[in-house]
Amino acid sequence: MSHVQAILIDDSRAMRLILRRIVGQIGFDAVEAEDGQAAIDLLNSMEKPPELALIDWNMPNMNGLEFVTAVRKEPKYREMTLVMVTTESEQSQIVRALAAGAHEYVIKPFTAGAMIEKLALLGLVPQGASS
Amino acid sequence: MSDVAALRVEDLHEIVEQVWSSYLDPDGIEPLLPIFSEEDVAALKTDMHASVSITGTWHGHVVVACNEPAAKNCSAAFLAMEADEVGEEDMMDVLGELANIVGGNVKSMLPPGCFVSLPTVVTGEAPHYPSAEPVCQLAGLWKEDPFVITMWQSSGAAGEAA
Amino acid sequence: MTLSQQDFSFVAGLVRREASIVLAPGKEYLVEARLIPVARQVGAASVTEFLANIQRRPDPTHQRMIVDALTTNETSWFRDREPFTALTEQLLPELIGARATSRKLRFWSAACSSGQEPYSLAITLQQALPAGWNYEIVGSDISTEMIKRAEAGEFSQVEINRGLPAAQLVHYFERAGAHWRIAPSLRRNVSFTRLNLTAPLPPMPPFDVVFLRNVLIYFDVDTKRTVLRNIGRMLRPDGWLFLGAAETTIGIDDNYERVVAGRTSAYRLKSAVPAGTARKG
Repeated sequence: MSHVQAILIDDSRAMRLILRRIVGQIGFDAVEAEDGQAAIDLLNSMEKPPELALIDWNMPNMNGLEFVTAVRKEPKYREMTLVMVTTESEQSQIVRALAAGAHEYVIKPFTAGAMIEKLALLGLVPQGASS
Repeated sequence: MSDVAALRVEDLHEIVEQVWSSYLDPDGIEPLLPIFSEEDVAALKTDMHASVSITGTWHGHVVVACNEPAAKNCSAAFLAMEADEVGEEDMMDVLGELANIVGGNVKSMLPPGCFVSLPTVVTGEAPHYPSAEPVCQLAGLWKEDPFVITMWQSSGAAGEAA
Repeated sequence: MTLSQQDFSFVAGLVRREASIVLAPGKEYLVEARLIPVARQVGAASVTEFLANIQRRPDPTHQRMIVDALTTNETSWFRDREPFTALTEQLLPELIGARATSRKLRFWSAACSSGQEPYSLAITLQQALPAGWNYEIVGSDISTEMIKRAEAGEFSQVEINRGLPAAQLVHYFERAGAHWRIAPSLRRNVSFTRLNLTAPLPPMPPFDVVFLRNVLIYFDVDTKRTVLRNIGRMLRPDGWLFLGAAETTIGIDDNYERVVAGRTSAYRLKSAVPAGTARKG
């Protein structure tokens, strides 16, 4: 099985699809999980963790902040870039997510261009791959 | 921030415009055309209602209402498929996410300390909130079908502790 | 009830004149959607009536409302990235060496639009300058509307999403209703002025760095030459000019030379001596 570069964690299938299209533009294959717990289970089953996780905040079972906190405790996920993608846009919430270990933060609604710019900031966009 | 009663309709319009330009109308060709005449708004028929509840320092609901053709077009745009391929489950998911995004952005303009519930989508009759009243509404047409976004405030709940 | 061709042309012309923004045909619905709330606000029964009134009797306030409603901004923070990286990694350390006495830098963001570029420069300098240093940034634009918006320093959620790192968002901005407002500590170092780059410039103290990006592409060769000459007079002898990635001084104004800076290029006046060895400028 080929290496998967992104995990998309959102309880909305529509949002996962939008994210899948966007990371596809920078050549990333993706797997999907509908909440934080499902994402952790999925990650544990993978041979090599993906480079990127795009994470919704408000989800049933395990929310995005809990997921980030849990993943940051695991050395094997140290290289994974964590990006919150959420409607939570109070300053204090962004600070909390960054403090928990998220690398970047994208507020919904976002355009495809804005998301790719954020991924470029994180060094995840190969030269010439952005639109 | 002293007046926490509701958002202004301009704020709701800005949120809606941002959602449309991000997902439903990225080329800026078919935005939601707002309607302000009360008579025209009253004539709009909606039978799909997606909502989130807001609790905490402010109590209420944000409802995104539309009809089935609107939900189909909306899902088609979100999911990059043709409107006639859109199924029931697609519409539920997309409208739910729409309510989540609009509701989340509404929340960000309320006093800190509010929480947004996961979205609920119902078809048929509009959800009824006996102890709440509509405090802000934006209605419009998108591709000639109605969208109505309404913010309901629970009575006597502004500033109430969580 | 779509806009008539005449109404659309009227609005497109107004927006092009006032804000240098082109509304391509096909945007009729967008124009209508944006103007419905404006028409309502001024008490017109419809957009058509509103536009008919204003064409019959021009009204500066209403014209400004139209321009304002139609000029949402597409500019990113730290646009193109490379010039900001080159500044931080290469040019600023040199300039800091050269200005050790005055401990002050002056930047000019020419054609600053709604302010993302001058505020991005402010963030860059805030982070890069040693304690005890000062900086001034002047943002200029031909559009009064854009200057007004840049001065307000308020950005929508969508604008904020464009290329601004989250850590800097929480550090240098504060929430203001639906918008984010630039922090006073940055805002006070940035001033704005309406300026036509093709006309003789008003007297200003010289600048250490000028950002003039994606402006020259809109001008013919003669105008490009005029603008570059005007800017050259405002640049300190060891100062730097940044152009857009698709722009150059080469073949237009021989007084500049191109210097590789990081993964991009910057320009300086040919008589320049390296900043590190510059005499007091």
